[in-house]
Amino acid sequence: MRAIPTLKISISGVRGVIGESLTPELLTRFAQAFGTYVGPGTLVIGRDPRTSGEMVKQAVIGGLLSAGCRILDIGICPVPTVQLLVRHHRARGGIALTASHNPAEWNALKFIDANGLFLSSGNAREMLDIYHQGDYTRVAGAEMRGVEETSGATDLHIEKILETLRPLPASQKKLRVVLDACNGAGSLVGPKLLNALGATVISINVTPNGLFPRPAEPLPENLAALCEAVLENQADIGFAQDMDADRLAVVSEKGKPIGEDYTLVLAALYALGREPGPVVANLSTTSSLEAIAKQFSCPLFLTKIGEVNVTEEMQKQKAVIGGEGNGGVIYPRINFARDSLVGMALILHLLTETGSRVTDLLETFPRFSMIKEKIVCPSNQIASVLKMIRRDYAAYRIDDRDGVKVMMPNGWFLVRGSNTEPIVRVIAEAETEQDARDLLVSVYHKVKECISR
Amino acid sequence: MKPLKIGITGVRGIVGETLTPEVVIAFSGAFGTYMEGGRILVGRDTRASGPMVRAAVMAGLLASGCEVIDLGICPTPSLQLAVSWLSANGGISITAGHNPVPWNALKFVRSDGLYLNSMQGEELLDIFHQGDFTRATWDRICREIQYQDPIEHHIERLKHVFDVEAIKARGLKVAVDCCNGACSRLIPRWLQELGCEVLAINNDLASPFPHSPEPKPETMAQLSAVVKAGHADIGFAHDADGERLGIVTESGQPLSEELTLAMAARIRLACKPGTVVTNVSTSSAIDRIAAEFGGAVVRTQVGQAYISEAIIEHNAILGGEGSGGVTVPEVQLTHDSAAAAGLILEGLALAGRRVSEVVQELPSLAMIKRNLAVEPNRLYSMLQAFRMAVEREGLTCDLTDGIRVVLQDGWIHVRASNTESMIRLIVEADNATDANRLADWARDRLTNQARGW
Repeated sequence: MRAIPTLKISISGVRGVIGESLTPELLTRFAQAFGTYVGPGTLVIGRDPRTSGEMVKQAVIGGLLSAGCRILDIGICPVPTVQLLVRHHRARGGIALTASHNPAEWNALKFIDANGLFLSSGNAREMLDIYHQGDYTRVAGAEMRGVEETSGATDLHIEKILETLRPLPASQKKLRVVLDACNGAGSLVGPKLLNALGATVISINVTPNGLFPRPAEPLPENLAALCEAVLENQADIGFAQDMDADRLAVVSEKGKPIGEDYTLVLAALYALGREPGPVVANLSTTSSLEAIAKQFSCPLFLTKIGEVNVTEEMQKQKAVIGGEGNGGVIYPRINFARDSLVGMALILHLLTETGSRVTDLLETFPRFSMIKEKIVCPSNQIASVLKMIRRDYAAYRIDDRDGVKVMMPNGWFLVRGSNTEPIVRVIAEAETEQDARDLLVSVYHKVKECISR
Repeated sequence: MKPLKIGITGVRGIVGETLTPEVVIAFSGAFGTYMEGGRILVGRDTRASGPMVRAAVMAGLLASGCEVIDLGICPTPSLQLAVSWLSANGGISITAGHNPVPWNALKFVRSDGLYLNSMQGEELLDIFHQGDFTRATWDRICREIQYQDPIEHHIERLKHVFDVEAIKARGLKVAVDCCNGACSRLIPRWLQELGCEVLAINNDLASPFPHSPEPKPETMAQLSAVVKAGHADIGFAHDADGERLGIVTESGQPLSEELTLAMAARIRLACKPGTVVTNVSTSSAIDRIAAEFGGAVVRTQVGQAYISEAIIEHNAILGGEGSGGVTVPEVQLTHDSAAAAGLILEGLALAGRRVSEVVQELPSLAMIKRNLAVEPNRLYSMLQAFRMAVEREGLTCDLTDGIRVVLQDGWIHVRASNTESMIRLIVEADNATDANRLADWARDRLTNQARGW
């Protein structure tokens, strides 16, 4: 039997397994394609602490120098730090060397434009065309530029956060915070930021060695050690980052994960209180966010799924805050990127400002129950599944920009084909868990029936 | 013509055209595979394309499971000495030696510090062409690059071999032209250790080559002026990576590069009789000097690996080539311009003589070197046609390397260059008239296709 192919080249970058599909030859070609696309100029590169990171970095440097670029190498740091530095240095773009939450054997390149945003789908397609055509800019030795290494990138990131959000007020009781950085890119900068904000920090998994102490996604089931540490240390809050420190999850003072959907909700609660304005999220985000926006009389805009779609809409609407339900908080006053560091600062400010515990804060807005399920479905049947949903639920309000989302009286559900696997995802949210489950089950059966027909 | 030369001496090409990061990565991956991982040293000369090639080499080596030590900018012989010092498995020197600025190349060094021999070179090429390289998985790949400086160790070795006190006692004034190459880090320091007053020019690592990095009379005008203006006792010219040495006398006369080995041989044989190893295209002055002192000469194919192996086989006291490369076996079994300079200074100091006096005792011969650029696919057919033409006239061809013909008043050597797509013609006779006549004779027989001499 053939091995399952691991290489994935798409508009969100190139991703593969080290020692197998993600070879240095492939990486250097991608770097050349990107260097050719953005032209000669300064590019920022940074990486997460995966074991293959050095190899990947050298392959990328070789390709970028060959294409005539100048490189600012900011070392091991969160992806949002790379994005911040691109804008700070007015660079032509950047490359983040990280496979975010994928397991240790993976690595990937993510391409960043001059605004510090991931390449839009249109730009990414143009870059991929150059990659496939293979006709890269190659400068002569005498025209080649160099690599400048800098270690101050994360300090600059902290500085930018404190400039906008200030340290926590010293008059208040010091917050006790436990941070689980997953031995990832946030391992060093995370505790440093929390200290600078004025919190008492207890850190776990902060050795950036590329060895994963837990699965990298900050899902409730992966946070047992953090929950325990919060209780043991009688902390006010626990934070969990993923490997590249863009996503953030919160554990309450009772040692319970609040669910990564509520990271953005808490952050928005503080951000909108500080300064009301438009909010942007994708259409699978919890309705709690809508409730919060309503509370502050702010408009909420829902986009297709994908970080790029959210950031593009945020720019268009001049949003105050935005993000995704997976723990990605985007706060443009500091950084136009999913940024766990910014997320932590916003939520700690919320705690000191309200003087409330996390558990109590969750009681101040309506909360919903969200359930997710996936159904195996041949790619060629996805369209007929979606058509069936549109027909059968025509009586309700429907949003079909990305799959089909149906607004029911007691909640909503979303049916959507995966971009990467032959499956259909079904997500349902309602006020109670029972309602959500009923909603999900009814849709689940319809989809199953449609596929077997 | 696209100049990429993949041969047993390594891979060499023009950056921005043929020597792409992909080719460099693949060759380094093949070398890492061939050496079966382990510790590999990497050094480079000062070419502006060095950082690009270095990054690509690092990526290829790391991906194939090697542990890498970066020696930074250093002469190739410094790297070769460091292989055993650092218990390494081999090394890659990134340098196109005496080739012009647009070129770069990889030279492959094995675990004893010598270049791969022709059979090993073939094995490496087979792996390169098959493209089936060892790929380290995430849990095996080396996480970081280490750094070492080999210069101090090289100087210590040199100090052990030569009579430092005798040279110091002479208080020599030495002018040196490092061509802004890797020798800038070694030679001025080494000469200071020898108590010389050093007049160094072109020893700035960050500047481009001020002239062709091939030490020949036509590139030594600046050095000659410094020798005269500074009243130096001798002038030394170095190539970009510390293999070849050119000499200027105290009167400012630049010597033919053929005389470097001749002078070293005379100094050496005068105090230590034995065998001298050189290649088939080097001046027969060596034979006359050896005869004078009762020594023997062994001739090999052109290329350092052949010289090194013959030195071992014949337990020789000296090796070298007409290009200005000299091997002093007590230092190491490979060309080393620092060792050659040490040998010559020691000889001058011990004999209490001036360099022009030694030159006068060397046999005076006339040599002509001509190069003919030929398309790669015609190189060997032209050589074959030449051989047939010569043999039809009843002459015997020595086929050790290319075609060498001994005639009554001199000899002719015709061969394909190892490093560039050209035919090299070398002729030597007692005087210039005879030499020109022999060169014309050879030209006529290199078929009428050969135009543009």
